[in-house]
Amino acid sequence: MNNLSSESNRWMLRPDVVATVVNDGAVILDLRTKFFFSANATGWAIAQMFEMGSTRAEVHAASKHWGAVNGDAANIDAIIDQLIAEKLIETTAGTGVAVPGVTVSAWTLPTLSKHKEPLQRIMTSAFDPGLPLAE
Amino acid sequence: MIAAADSPVAREITYFCGPVSLALTFEDSSLQQALHGLLSQYDAPWPESRLSICATVTSRNAPVECPPNAGAFLALTRLKVDREGARLVSYGNLGSLMEYDMAAGEARFSVPENPDWPLLVEEVEQHFILLLARAWSQLGWTPMHGGTLIMPGSSRCVLLCAPSGVGKTTLTAAMLRRGWRTLGDDKTLLRKEGNTVVARSLAHRFHLHPNSSRWFPEAGDITQWPTYSRWTDKRVVRIEKLWPDCLAEHAIPGAVVQLLRDETGPALSVQPLDRIATLNTLLLQVAIPSDAEHARPLFSCVASLAANIRGAVFRIGNDAFADPKTAERIEAEFKKLLA
Repeated sequence: MNNLSSESNRWMLRPDVVATVVNDGAVILDLRTKFFFSANATGWAIAQMFEMGSTRAEVHAASKHWGAVNGDAANIDAIIDQLIAEKLIETTAGTGVAVPGVTVSAWTLPTLSKHKEPLQRIMTSAFDPGLPLAE
Repeated sequence: MIAAADSPVAREITYFCGPVSLALTFEDSSLQQALHGLLSQYDAPWPESRLSICATVTSRNAPVECPPNAGAFLALTRLKVDREGARLVSYGNLGSLMEYDMAAGEARFSVPENPDWPLLVEEVEQHFILLLARAWSQLGWTPMHGGTLIMPGSSRCVLLCAPSGVGKTTLTAAMLRRGWRTLGDDKTLLRKEGNTVVARSLAHRFHLHPNSSRWFPEAGDITQWPTYSRWTDKRVVRIEKLWPDCLAEHAIPGAVVQLLRDETGPALSVQPLDRIATLNTLLLQVAIPSDAEHARPLFSCVASLAANIRGAVFRIGNDAFADPKTAERIEAEFKKLLA
């Protein structure tokens, strides 16, 4: 863990990161890099903690409330480290607000998978993003 | 000034483009004529126009300079687009400009003189496609570049995703002959309605390559139909003229197929897509802006769709439709996906 990810830092999802809930978790799209990620229900719950700003300790506390045990701490840290490494969250000077309504029905190990290919950064048109093949 | 065929008398014309009506005033009649093909293609009937946009298209001597960091909203090969509150500003490579006030429903196009008239027209076309894409999105629709095939006796459809030129239209024509229906060409609007995503058509015409007549003799001499772009030999064909009763107005997507061309492989090979690859296939067909507020509803619609449909990759070999069994096998695979 480096200084940037120290316990006391408060982290927040970047404003140009969007997410949408799907059946068993969420999909997160980084509009800057055009990479997208899929999170399971607990991975998404952790990511949601950063919508209003949270510290690493607050995420661990919330995870315990959701059913995590001490042995899960490394997995929770790994998700937070991945969010930091991918620059999906950034430090914020705010004091943070508890995130209302983040619930987890059954605790499982959190996952966050990055898809291997980004979406197009430059598109052909506002309706047909892909490049046409030569005929 | 743009080389005008007539004296610069303002021309007013209204186009109905799906749920959007576009009332245009052109200063230059030659530009109006050049854009007519694009703007008249959205001929699928819609019950009402829910958003009216008034736009003026004016000529100017000097190009508009694009600011160095433009393109924060959307970067296209010919345009850089920014948003300032409710106002979209789109800068063309040749110095054309489009400003769209999304709150007021007003747009202004400014077109400079340029010796390359076809290139200039194509740039202005891209401004119009942007304007319409944003207007459809304002109404809750997600524009998707993909074809549709509706299973006989059902409202469920397969979405066909591929870049232009891979063969979406050829495959669609092959299935229409087997009793499947379509919403139209590859310009489809999607919208979340409760737990379902519905698809609606915008255009009831195909862009069909003249070579297709060797597989579809009922199409006759396709070269008799008009061309639509200097970049391709494809012709604009009215679907109901060649395949009557094959058009529908809406459908429920139940599967997505990513089409690939396989120059050396068999006529058809099929591989399933997992959920993430299904989502990726759909996202690659939607122009999602880099602006979170405008990206969110499009992303949400596509992700909801991907979560509830099956996906597969179809690799189609060269001259695959010369053998009628290929279409038979494709139909069987489509039915498996929709089962």
